[in-house]
Parts: sequence; structure tokens; C-alpha cells
Amino acid sequence: MLLPQLNISLDDLTLPSGRGSVTLAKRGTCFRSAASIALAIGLMASTPVRAATPSFTVGWSVYVGWNPYYYMAKSGILRKWAAKYGINIRVQRFDYAPSLDAFVAKNIDACAMTNMEALDMPAAAGVDTTAIIIGDYSNGNDAVIVRHNLTLAQIPGKQVMLVEKTVSQYLFERAMAINGLEQQIRQVHYLNTSDSDIASAFLTNQSKPVVVTWKPLVSQILKAKDVKVVFNSSQIPGEILDLLVVPSEVLNRADGSGQKFAKAITGAWYEVLKLMSVPGPASNKVLTDIAEASQDSLASYREQLATTHMFYTPQSAVDMASSAGVKKTMDLVRRFCFQHGLLGEKTKSVDDVAVQFPDGAVLGKPERIRFRFSTAYMQLAAQGKL
Amino acid sequence: MSFLRIHAQPGRTAIWTLSWSLFAAGIVLYFYVAQQRHRENPDDRVMPTIAQMVRGFSDAALKPAAEEEVQAASGSSLLARFRTSMLWTDTLASGRRFLISVALLFPAVLLGLHMAMFPVIGAFFLRFILFFDKIVALSLLPILFIAFGIDELSKIMLIVIGVTPTIILDTFNLTKSVPREQIVKGFTLGASDFSITYRIVFKQIWPRVLNSIRLNLKAVMLFLFAGEMIASTDGLAYRIALLRRHMGMDTIIPYVLWVALLLFLVDFAMNKLNHKLHPWFQER
Repeated sequence: MLLPQLNISLDDLTLPSGRGSVTLAKRGTCFRSAASIALAIGLMASTPVRAATPSFTVGWSVYVGWNPYYYMAKSGILRKWAAKYGINIRVQRFDYAPSLDAFVAKNIDACAMTNMEALDMPAAAGVDTTAIIIGDYSNGNDAVIVRHNLTLAQIPGKQVMLVEKTVSQYLFERAMAINGLEQQIRQVHYLNTSDSDIASAFLTNQSKPVVVTWKPLVSQILKAKDVKVVFNSSQIPGEILDLLVVPSEVLNRADGSGQKFAKAITGAWYEVLKLMSVPGPASNKVLTDIAEASQDSLASYREQLATTHMFYTPQSAVDMASSAGVKKTMDLVRRFCFQHGLLGEKTKSVDDVAVQFPDGAVLGKPERIRFRFSTAYMQLAAQGKL
Repeated sequence: MSFLRIHAQPGRTAIWTLSWSLFAAGIVLYFYVAQQRHRENPDDRVMPTIAQMVRGFSDAALKPAAEEEVQAASGSSLLARFRTSMLWTDTLASGRRFLISVALLFPAVLLGLHMAMFPVIGAFFLRFILFFDKIVALSLLPILFIAFGIDELSKIMLIVIGVTPTIILDTFNLTKSVPREQIVKGFTLGASDFSITYRIVFKQIWPRVLNSIRLNLKAVMLFLFAGEMIASTDGLAYRIALLRRHMGMDTIIPYVLWVALLLFLVDFAMNKLNHKLHPWFQER
């Protein structure tokens, strides 16, 4: 966890000084690592010796709605925005769970995650978290898939493969509840399956009749015979939100660098989304580059985009964040998390991890706000003031 | 002073202090950092304090695993509560898989022995097992799923595939290291092939083989954990995977220590048994 940060500090110190960086780069890696170790020791020993420009790290994981972060860094758009605000921003790919761990441990300054994880990981662990970008919602990306034309009502008593205590379980239990089967949820046997193996595990085991997962795994599974989707996230639109979250303390930094960071990343985000939203083949080039983030083809990425409701314009995201729907969603999500113990053993009441909305309304105890929705930066983007 | 020399003869107190000092340093360092993190953020879950871990562990050890049993368990004795707790049910599930897998390592010992003693058997197996040993079993999971399903069998097979080649090859090498002269001597005294294999060679290498199995217990545990994290409904690693979903480090750390303790006890028991059975065996 420490190493990437050491590298940033090295880059920060060498890049602006032009010549120095050239000499450093010419020497072997040996010298480079020796230098970074020496620097690290120096940095640890004396905190006042800071890099000239504040730098920030954004963590993202492979998902249709988050792949744009890869393109943002690769295309130079992010560098342009960071330079405008006089900061450095680095983008790092993680696996999903480790990205959450890194965010909670405060090793990274921003992270792409869903509304549910934002609540039950950082917020519940006492890290006051602010969502600054609402990127999209899953509009069919997550799905309950069955064999042999099974119906939801037939699932109780059978085994369901899913990654327990994630949006998959949330989706499944919402599906049961919407279809009046809430009482039968307890008779379902969950088989906790790692997402890296869930597709092959389901496909090779005819004895397991139900699986809940997300795209692109869903597309992979649906290629098999005799399987079909009985419920997907388009039936609960807007409930599985994909966000970019930042620790509130970063936003509130005294030197204002956190604000600059939020503005720069929001600006870069909407510039990429604008390129993506051009209709027709004009966006092929951009989408191909974005698909590269997950080693996907253009066709496959387009197929995933079709079931993702991207908020292409900042205004649409602001409208979503300010709607009554978000409050209803967050209430459902926090109750789900509390019921399943995701807010932690210590949390005795669902109100102990409170959520604040852009209009100031609070779900839960006002003195225990841990998760905030902010439209400030998206608003600035909408007004063209970034 | 010969304090740092080969001849040094530290006293009992010195040995005791030295051997525990790293433990003490680790514990102190942990709680110092934990304390600092908690001062910054009272709800911190990454590094729980002692009180949190004690609570997490007692919940795990005394609260029933399944919600339906809440009524049944409340009010009964501590032991009865422990027997329905998630810690105990998880330990049983993992323990069963562990024991079956370890038991399956013993045929591997016999195979290694025969490979080394009988050239034809050796010729048949050795090259293949040398190759097979280098295969990273975890990367073949989808094939394992096809062959063994995703229930118990695949978890046990993952362990077997991961650990047996090492045991076979180790037994093979140990067998080969028995001096040829002993075998020749056995033949001149009229021993048969099998009595040489079992009564001369096997008897000598058996305590070393047991040691080799002891060293591989951790590998067994690693594969077991990997298997349980991939797909399961119970077990110690299953619980840890779930707790990770909400950073339940206050329970995970005691769980990890519990696993370490169990593994240590198994290892200790095997070591004691080994020396009881073979008093002439000097290696540790």
C-alpha cells in the first residue's frame, strides 16, 4: 500500500524540475528505487518536506460505468484538468474489494463505488464520505438468472449462487419483495461464490439452478442454453447507483486543494462523458479506448452501456441526486445493510449511520452524518464554471 | 564476553525474554497504531482495539450461527451456546475438510515410497508428477468445477492436487537417500522386496515423512481457505470472506488467531506423536 505513494512523491518532486527528471530517468531502475527509498525515508522523517504540488489518487475497478476513468488518464484529459487546478491526479486500477479496503484505510483520496458499498464500508467504518459524482445507475447490468424456466416463487428452498452481502443479494431480495415473496427469503440457501469464478462455477454445475451477478458475467452466462433472466436491475431503476466518493475531510482541507481536486476530476469526467455520448459511429474511437480498460471489444462494451443509465450531462446527474427517489433508495439500502449486519455489530440502530442529501435533509441522526450526497461540483459543471 | 559468539550459553531467563520479545514488539506496535487510528476516528474498523476484538470473538463463540436458533440457545449453558455458535460450526465444517485432505495425503506417501523403490513404478510416475507439481492448481478452477462440482469434493480435490505432489516427491527423495548398502545387506540376509521396502526403508523415513507433512499443513490450510472463499456456505474462510464485506476486522483478527492456534496444536500433536512413536528420531 505504501509503495505507490512513494512513487507519486518521487514523480512530484522530479517532474516539475525538468532537467532533474531527465537525469533521473536516464539512470537505471536501481537508482530510481534507491532514490525513492531515500526520499521515502526523508518524507517519513520530516513531514514539512512536502511535494510542491498536492497530489491525489483515484481508485477504480473494472465496470462499465467506471472504465471512463482509465480513458480519462490515458487520453491526457485528466492531466489537462489537473494542470488547470495546479494539482497532480493519479488514477489506479484495483480489484473492487481491495479498492474499498484502500479507501477505508485512507490510502487513496477517491474511489468509484456503489451507493450501497459507500454506506456499508467507509461510512459505517466512521470515514465521513461524500459522493461528488453520480455516474450512472445499473439499468439491467445486474440480473437474477435461472435454469429450466424457474420462476421467482420456485426459488425458496433452492441454492442461489451469488456474492453474499453485496448489491447482488440486495437485487435478489428486492426482486422477492416486489413479487410478494418477502416471507420466503429465509428459505433461500445462499451459496457465497467469488465473483472471479461465479460464471464458470454456475455454467459447469447443472445442479445449481439460480445465480445472481452482474455484467459482463451476465452476458457470458446467457450464452449458455436453457438459462434466462427472471429479474434485472432495470426493474428497480436508480437503486444501484455508481458513484465517485471522496472522504469529506479531503474536500475540507484547509489549503483548498481538496476542492480543486473535486473540481478537476468532475471537469475531466464530464469531458469524457461528452465524448462518449456522441451518437453513432463518431464515438467508436473513444468507446474502443474505454473498452480497452476491461479488455473488452467495442461491441461488448456497447452492449453493456445499453443496460447502464449513464448520466451523460451534469444536469441530469444533479436532477437525479436532488430527486425524492434517491431518498427512498437510500432508505431501502440502509435498511437492507442494517438487517444484514453490514453496518457492523456495534451499530445498534439504522439511524447511527446517517445520510445527508443535497437539500440538507438527513436520514438518521443528524449528529451522526457519515455519508453525504453533494451536487456542488456537478452543478458547477452544469453551469460551465469549472 | 562470548554473548554473541557461537559458544554463547544464554540462561533460562535470557532465552525466555529473547523468545518472547518479538511477540511483545508486534503486539505493542499494533496497539500503538490502533490507538492512534481510534483517536482520529472512533469508528475505525481497520485496526480494532482489544475490547472490540474480545467482543467480536465472544459474539462469534457464543452467539448462535443461524438466526432461527436464537430462541433455542438463549438461557442454556455456555457449552451448549458454544456448540451452536458460528465459530464452532465454522470450525467443524473446515476441520472436516482439513482432516479428510490430510488423510488423503497418506496414500501419496506410499506412492512416493514405491516410486523410489521400484524402478518401473518410478519410470511410470516420476516425470509426470514432477511436471504436475509445477501446475498452479488454483488457475485450473473451472476445470476442477467440471470434474468435481462446486461442493465438498472440489474443495478437497483442490487441496489434494495442490499438496500431494510435494509429499510424493519428498517421500521419493527421502527414500532415495537411504544408503544402498542397507538394501544390499537386506537382500544378502534373505529379505524379500516388500520386507525391504516396508521394514527397512519405510521404517527409517517414516518420521521424516511425518515432519514433511507437518511442514505442509500450512499449504493444506491455504488451499482450504482458497476453496472456501471461492464458493461455500460454511467454514472459517467463508466467514472471513463475508466479514470482509463490511470490514469486520474485530472478528477477523481473532478468527485468524484461532486458526493459527488450531494449526499450531495439530502440528504440536503430530510432533509429539512422532517422537513418542520413534524415540530414536532426533530431528525436530
